[in-house]
Amino acid sequence: MRYVSTAFGYLKDRRRVNVVIVLLVAAVLALIPLFMSVEGNYWIYFLFLTFVNTVIAQGWNLVAGYAGQISLGQNAFFGLGAYTTALLWIHDITKTGYYFDPVVMLLSGVVPAILAVIIGIPLLSRLRGDYFAFGTLGVGQILIVIFIKARHITGGADGIHIPSMVYSSMAPYYYTGLLLALFATALVYFITRSKIGLALRAVREDEMSAASHGVFILQYKVFAFAVGAFLAGLAGSLYGIYLFHINPDSVLNMNWLFYPILMCVLGGTGTIVGPAIGALFMTALFSFGDRYFAQYHPIISGVLIILVMRFMPSGIIGLKDRFSRRTRFSL
Amino acid sequence: MLLQVLVNGVLFGTTYGIAAIGLSLIFGTMRIIFLAQGTFIVFFAYVCFWLFTLLGIDPYLSLVIVIPIALLVGSLLYYGVFKEAAALEDKNISLLLAVGLMYLVENIMLVVWSPDPRSIVTPYTTLVFRPFDIVLPFTRLIALIIALVSALGVYIFLKRTLIGTAVRAASEDMVSTTLMGINPSFVNAIAFAIGIGMAGVAGVALATIFPFDPGYGFIFAIKALIALALGGIGNVGGALLGGIMLGLIENLASYYVGGGWADAISYGVFILVLSFRPQGLFGKALKKA
Amino acid sequence: MANQLLEIKDLDVYYGDVQVLRSVSMHVEEGGIVALVGANGAGKTTLLKTISGLIRARKGEILLDGAPLHTLGPKAVVDKGVIHVPEGRRLFSGLTIYENLRLGAYIPRSRPMFNTSLEQVYALFPILKDRRNQKAGSLSGGEQQMLAIARAVMAQPRLLMLDEPSLGLSPILVRTIFQLINTLNEHKTTILLVEQNIHQTLKIAHHAFVLRVGRIVMSGTGNELLANDDIWKDYIGSRKVR
Repeated sequence: MRYVSTAFGYLKDRRRVNVVIVLLVAAVLALIPLFMSVEGNYWIYFLFLTFVNTVIAQGWNLVAGYAGQISLGQNAFFGLGAYTTALLWIHDITKTGYYFDPVVMLLSGVVPAILAVIIGIPLLSRLRGDYFAFGTLGVGQILIVIFIKARHITGGADGIHIPSMVYSSMAPYYYTGLLLALFATALVYFITRSKIGLALRAVREDEMSAASHGVFILQYKVFAFAVGAFLAGLAGSLYGIYLFHINPDSVLNMNWLFYPILMCVLGGTGTIVGPAIGALFMTALFSFGDRYFAQYHPIISGVLIILVMRFMPSGIIGLKDRFSRRTRFSL
Repeated sequence: MLLQVLVNGVLFGTTYGIAAIGLSLIFGTMRIIFLAQGTFIVFFAYVCFWLFTLLGIDPYLSLVIVIPIALLVGSLLYYGVFKEAAALEDKNISLLLAVGLMYLVENIMLVVWSPDPRSIVTPYTTLVFRPFDIVLPFTRLIALIIALVSALGVYIFLKRTLIGTAVRAASEDMVSTTLMGINPSFVNAIAFAIGIGMAGVAGVALATIFPFDPGYGFIFAIKALIALALGGIGNVGGALLGGIMLGLIENLASYYVGGGWADAISYGVFILVLSFRPQGLFGKALKKA
Repeated sequence: MANQLLEIKDLDVYYGDVQVLRSVSMHVEEGGIVALVGANGAGKTTLLKTISGLIRARKGEILLDGAPLHTLGPKAVVDKGVIHVPEGRRLFSGLTIYENLRLGAYIPRSRPMFNTSLEQVYALFPILKDRRNQKAGSLSGGEQQMLAIARAVMAQPRLLMLDEPSLGLSPILVRTIFQLINTLNEHKTTILLVEQNIHQTLKIAHHAFVLRVGRIVMSGTGNELLANDDIWKDYIGSRKVR
């Protein structure tokens, strides 16, 4: 009996309940492939996509929801991650021969992160809000041009092909995806609970006040931006491996700019599980749409963003807060 | 040759300028950058195209139809989509609404009108003047004139009408304007409607000059944004000049460096201006609303 | 008791989750000058903003001539003749003096009387007439304050609410402004004056209220409060000056 009451005592802390729920869900997801045939299974593919989407969504979530900066350049980091993976693999740089080489993946996250730091420092130190968003937009677009132009490295508009003979089964994709999605969510969780998260929150609420309290703002913003890029790169890496054929159209296109935003907006920006929920919804919507209204589903996503922003700007998670007076008005 | 390049730049730049004026108005009052501007420009280009193709209405005459429609669409959009979000402190919501709208309209156009490029061909499409060995296509010249006239129209509206004065006041200080008993929503709506109206004008101009397709909208929006950043927020002339400057930069870059790099250079200039002179070359320094 | 133009009863106002005004009650007699004094952050501006409809109170009432004002939005409040001259003037610096004045008479109620109001204003503030085509941003501090008040007068106010008109002005200018306030009052304008500058304010006020951390802690005639030592508690380092 004692153990039971201790367990309940442990669960009383709401945050702990959430953590337990997340772990349970993860466990269930991990077990699914044991009960289903993995190959050619639509659900496995669907979940895989959801995992990839979760990772890139969490990246945007951290930058927008916690650091309060809207990034319109995530597609550049995503693409960069994919290309990094492809190039490392093609030139066999790490010489491990593993497909899901963790080093390759890590590098695919680190390279965009480095880029994020390089452009983040000048952009974030000078630009506020809207202006920063456009700066990221501009950078993203420039990157696309560079990728297309640097034909001898990136294969131009045609891109890079990864030999597909290595593909053995969907299972590793699935599990790697699950792992990365968990990792991304956990990363956001731990950052928010850390000192960095506290600083970010202070900056988001009232930047001038935070600065006057000695918070050296720039490093936190750049850090958030870099982590956002890191996660986008990871997502790109995984997706790239799955695709086998990486080109600007598939990994650098505008969709990867909008999807993270859409997912966070749907699920709830600035929350820990919101992006995952948003990813689930969005992937479901698109898969469903792809099957039945192939052409129309981008329209649906547009309508969705508008409806959600109009009627529930805090996303699905924010629904419970909807009737509180938390929305601040500018007058 | 260089002079030709410059002339081309000016001719096309005014279209960017018109788009930028629209953006400037919307930003001035609502403090958001309406990224869907380009998509709406393309939309109205399609309207012009269909008016011509189905009803045989000359593009320039169609302005008489397109402009009122654009103003109406603008008002409806404001009251239907942006009104509540505009009053919130968090401007990101309005920004995301604009992004969603852009996505929506572009994809609707893709589905309904297909991704094929369209262009309008009239008897005067190939008409060209050649003073001093410079090629001056008739359509581009008219586009320039249309742009200047509408810019002038907006300028007169802002300076000489009471509502226009209210819009200028609201761009400066919305709270103060509200304390005069002026309805901020109404002012926003007017500014927004005119912004979309400008998109209508630009759309017609675009339709007569270039082939266009739904995807062009996003690119155009960014160009308009760059033009705005160059010219600065807060005055009509500045936005127009910003557009012309962008036109010049693009054409010069194309001429000397060629191909896709012209775009990258434009973006590069954009980032530079944002970083080092955010108020643009002609705008007043912006207090954060 | 003379006619109460404005009555405020048990007002609770929050800014987000923070309570800024607690159970505030006060009143303004028709034709009088009422002062609301208090230190920085006491909530004076918030109170004015609530009266003019920019902020909604969570509890309590504001009555104008006995009718509810707190349910109205800013436009309707201005329409009733309650005009708020905000802290820091907040003129439209890019617009000319004339344009600023014109906007002052924007609402339908005052628009027909535009020309009359303009003449009145030019009579009271000759310097504005001289410079009427100059941009408001090019005026000096004192002139800007005059323009701000003039702009409000254009709306033919029944109740004129001034938020710290003496802010940033030299003592001579302050005196001019206060003389102006008296003149306006003599012309039958009811005035609610919010100030940190206690001395001059209490001298011209018929009645005054003291706001401290969101509560009304004192009230009385101007002279009564001037004589009261407690008032000076809010002002660090200041001493009562006779």
